[in-house]
Amino acid sequence: MWLDTLLSGQLLFSALVTGSLYAIVAVGLNLVYGTMRLLNVAHGDLVMGGAYLAYWSLTLLGVPPLLSLWMIGLGGALIGLALYRSMFRRLLIASADPGRVEANSLLLFFGISILVQNTIAWFATPTPRAYLYLDDVYKLGDTAMTGNRIASLVTAAATCAGIWLYLRHHVVGLALRAVIDSPLAARIVGVNVEQVHRTSFVLGFASASVAGVLVSMMEQFSPFVGFPFSIAAFIVCILGGLGNIGAGFVAALFLGVIETYGIALTSLNWRSVLLYGVFVATLLAFPQGLFGRRVRS
Amino acid sequence: MNSTAFDALLWTALLVGFAALPIFGGDYLVGIGLAAAMWLALTQSWSVLSSLTGYVSLGHTVFYGLGSYVVVVTWQQTPLAIALLGAGAASAAFALLVGLPVMRVRGPYFVILTFGLAELVKYSVLALEAEMGVSSRLLFGAPDIRVIYGLMVALAVAATALRILVDVLPFGHGLRSLRENEEAAETVGVPVARYKLFAFVLSAIVPGMVGGVMAMRSTFFEPIQAFDPTISVNIILMAVIGGGESARGPLLGVLFLVILSEWLWAKAPQAYMIILGLLLIVFVLKFPRGLAGWLADWQRARR
Repeated sequence: MWLDTLLSGQLLFSALVTGSLYAIVAVGLNLVYGTMRLLNVAHGDLVMGGAYLAYWSLTLLGVPPLLSLWMIGLGGALIGLALYRSMFRRLLIASADPGRVEANSLLLFFGISILVQNTIAWFATPTPRAYLYLDDVYKLGDTAMTGNRIASLVTAAATCAGIWLYLRHHVVGLALRAVIDSPLAARIVGVNVEQVHRTSFVLGFASASVAGVLVSMMEQFSPFVGFPFSIAAFIVCILGGLGNIGAGFVAALFLGVIETYGIALTSLNWRSVLLYGVFVATLLAFPQGLFGRRVRS
Repeated sequence: MNSTAFDALLWTALLVGFAALPIFGGDYLVGIGLAAAMWLALTQSWSVLSSLTGYVSLGHTVFYGLGSYVVVVTWQQTPLAIALLGAGAASAAFALLVGLPVMRVRGPYFVILTFGLAELVKYSVLALEAEMGVSSRLLFGAPDIRVIYGLMVALAVAATALRILVDVLPFGHGLRSLRENEEAAETVGVPVARYKLFAFVLSAIVPGMVGGVMAMRSTFFEPIQAFDPTISVNIILMAVIGGGESARGPLLGVLFLVILSEWLWAKAPQAYMIILGLLLIVFVLKFPRGLAGWLADWQRARR
């Protein structure tokens, strides 16, 4: 009986949807952490912000999410650029000791996260919200798929593929990977590290806000949904290897599979236990992160 | 006035204040005093681990929650004193169990790991309670608020004494040395792994008992509230605002935030949280030594 459930296309589809969502959330965290060693726990709050923008675009302006996501992605990119210009460029240059930035950055981002969540909760009330969009069902064999889930899967996959191609072929993308591998060596061979930092911020923020639009199409959200996404993204980055974008996508799908099949085998009560269980186990298995201290000097 | 005399005066005045409060104050004031004593006990315990070793724990709520759970589960089946000791022992045992692997994780990874661990335990207890068909537990016949207050003040004194004691012991110097450079400390003979584990366990005991006492105050138990991550966040904020150099820091941070929350929390909880976020950012960036550091500079300048 439960074997049938496990082999059904339904579960596979939902694992793919969840996994692709984790992939698009994690890729931004991976870029920012990989190039700057900034552990942005407020990353998930960008996802939450994107969800709210999509909600308001639809309910107030009547713009459907698949259209508004372009604007929201652009908006995320601009916010990333502005934050980088106003705060982080100075922070990154001013700090002679990168270890200190790393230790403080988490508390700093945590403060930003509290700030963002509660500002949204103040203006938009903490009540969860949701809307219906593309909710017609398509059937493929036994597998029922709603339009919004298909749209989410395709969008997430396309965004990830785009970023991956950019890192493979564009000159700034190549420079970005060089900085992830070794910031010092990259600087010595003449890579424009500032441009790389800026690009990571822009790409990371844009992909996270697009992910938020996808979340809002499928499930309800509140000002406090961001943190679990940060955690999931963090698991993906550690499992896939820091800055290893391709392996990160595989890790994201793996996490989606674990979560979906884990819930199918137990019950929804155990969802968070599973997520945090994998998280704690991963960190204990790789105490410094996969590439942690090696890159410090 | 030198720093030692100032400290002696400060702690005596504080103790007299705590003792006088239930005699002269009504239930409202005792409630505020209880909150202050609770945060003081939690933050001082936290500082034994995090201020001294630099391993910043964002998960101390796990000890608080475990302690609550122990007291609630054994309620009216074991004498209260035993249950409270059991709460402290359970927290210590948990810290001992997970301590070695957890304390191998460093820097920001440690911060986020402690948070994840606390959430993991919270959701595990939640799922366990759901499997057993329990959604919340009620405590009947809890003692009067003044009894609870007395217990809490005793815990605050214990935690403060622990911090002051560890500060002067060779153990404390060992912890500070490993904070500066773990490898170097190891080389000069500090038993780094053992010291870290010991600090972790020490900092868990009082928070467990605090959780047990607070379970009697709220007279009910829900995992979501007992393991609330806001508790961990508050502890860090008080410690960061107060500063970590001495036992004074947590006191200043606690007084500052208890007054602020008394003033704002009931009126505008979201505004209060926004201010907390801002304070965290400002203190981490601009005043890493906290109020106590500023006070120490001021005293030095006057001499």
